[in-house]
Amino acid sequence: MVTRGTLIYIGQRLVLIAFTVLVVSFGVFAVVHSLPGNAFVSDRVHGRALQILLHEYGLDQPIPVQYWSFLRGAVHGDLGVSLYVRGLPITPLVLRELSVSALLGGSALIVTIGLGVTFGVLAAVRQNSWVDYLLTSIAVVGYSVPSFVIASLGILIFGQWLNNITNGAVFYPEPWTGNYGTLTELSLPAIALGFYSSGQITRMTRAAMLDVFQQDYIRTARAKGLQNRIVVLRHALRNALVPVTSILGPTIIGVVTGSVVIENIFGIPGLGKEFVESIFQHDYNVTVGVFTIYAVLIGVANLAVDLVYTVIDPRIRY
Amino acid sequence: MATALPTPVTVDYAGGTLAREQVSLWRDGLRRLRRNKLALGAVIYLVVLALVCLVSLFWTPYEPNVIGTCQTYQLPTAMHPLGCDDLGRDSLSRLMVGSQVSLAVGLATAFIVLVVGVVVGLVAGYFRGTADAIISLLINIFYGVPPLLVAVALYVLLGSGLINIIIAISATVWMDMARLARGQALSLREREFVEAARAGGARWGKIVFGHILPNALGPIIVQATFVIPIAILTAAFLTFLGFGVPPPTADWGGMANEGLSSLQGGFDPYILLWPAVALSLTLLAFNFFGDGLRDAFDPRQKR
Repeated sequence: MVTRGTLIYIGQRLVLIAFTVLVVSFGVFAVVHSLPGNAFVSDRVHGRALQILLHEYGLDQPIPVQYWSFLRGAVHGDLGVSLYVRGLPITPLVLRELSVSALLGGSALIVTIGLGVTFGVLAAVRQNSWVDYLLTSIAVVGYSVPSFVIASLGILIFGQWLNNITNGAVFYPEPWTGNYGTLTELSLPAIALGFYSSGQITRMTRAAMLDVFQQDYIRTARAKGLQNRIVVLRHALRNALVPVTSILGPTIIGVVTGSVVIENIFGIPGLGKEFVESIFQHDYNVTVGVFTIYAVLIGVANLAVDLVYTVIDPRIRY
Repeated sequence: MATALPTPVTVDYAGGTLAREQVSLWRDGLRRLRRNKLALGAVIYLVVLALVCLVSLFWTPYEPNVIGTCQTYQLPTAMHPLGCDDLGRDSLSRLMVGSQVSLAVGLATAFIVLVVGVVVGLVAGYFRGTADAIISLLINIFYGVPPLLVAVALYVLLGSGLINIIIAISATVWMDMARLARGQALSLREREFVEAARAGGARWGKIVFGHILPNALGPIIVQATFVIPIAILTAAFLTFLGFGVPPPTADWGGMANEGLSSLQGGFDPYILLWPAVALSLTLLAFNFFGDGLRDAFDPRQKR
């Protein structure tokens, strides 16, 4: 199964990921450090005191020197310390937020794939019927309506109307109370986040299913007198999922992007919320740290998708 | 044979000038587009939107940025059909003005991406080798970071303002176009008409932009129309998060943000509703239009 070629391919991809992370982190590093203002503005530190602070955090050195010391720390898993909450180590902070975001993103992906594949299969099976038109329309609505609109409507309906109707007995609570939120708290953000990408999956699944339906082995299966359900789910779907897998990479990126907005709406203490806060607070080190984590995450996720590809479809070799 | 074929793309008034009777790419596509009800509806909506946007440049029912034209959180009335926002500004006026940002960002980004993506992609695909390797690496790097984050970082670097939003978003969505153009150039460069042009002594600029580009124009235009909703969506995300046009100027993302805080503060949902609906309808229309265009101009591509 795992051939030499596969290993070489994985190696090449890992090199590309490392290179990407390097370029991205340096780019972001250069960008945030060239911004006007600094993290100490809100403390009203000026003159000599500011110089001392800047020196303490190494911010008075040239950017390449600063980047080098960041890089030295980063390869040892140390992303430096926060400037806003002075001296707070970033790595544990970002890792905890990553786990929160991963929980949200994972739930959203389940929604995306579950909805997308189900709708896609249903639309393909009932091609050109009203079911098909309804589901493909929902798909277009899915990737047209911004996730913050869906989230806002969710808050309106479940957080307020339902609250008023049931006199506060049943309603959606927000913002989040704990770090990870309860299942109820998780539901709305996950759906709002997952719905967006599900549209693309629906279209892809539908197109792939229709394609597969044309093939000879499906006709053979039907000719054998196999139940339609089994033909669709066991014979057609398996092959139809191969092209669907190919858009999982962009889907994951879409979920990551959307999570930045969703986390800010629902007050979810994840990476996306931290990212926006760190920008507003001029907390450079955190911004760079979050970016680096994202770049690694997306690189690894894309690689994983490509490897899953070979498992689903043995014809694909690297 | 290959050289004798006129490129139908430049012909937008087929019939008069051509010796051979033929239907141009445009006319053929337009005919198919007209049969698509959904796309036609989308076009009508977009025309209305463009008119509203134009009108709002010169006239709005009330001053969109003046605080206190009516009561704060006023519900829709005859005087103020969409009500008023948290600062007592007329929602209809602000909604009209807000279309400017969305349309400007969408169209300008599509244009920039069209030019940059096509040039970069065609050059990579035509020359292959080192140029292709560098450009492909660049594309892969950009694919490796979440676009919204890059846009935010660039936006913060460049400073607030419409032009900077457009640049920041263009930098995050050019890759699809470049990849498409590259693929087209890779396959078209092997065709006979390119060989014929090369044999005829045409320089590379003439070959790439005079022979390859016109033949790849269908899918490129379709891709460009899909850039518009993506750009509008990204811009709405940016402004929603607070990285937008400077405050008094109305834009839909920022209005939705104000609306959401009003909603969470327990006020009526109208302030949120209008920009949300406008944004959703506009994105829907551009997507339906894009779908229609793709079916009309690029029939080989699967739905």
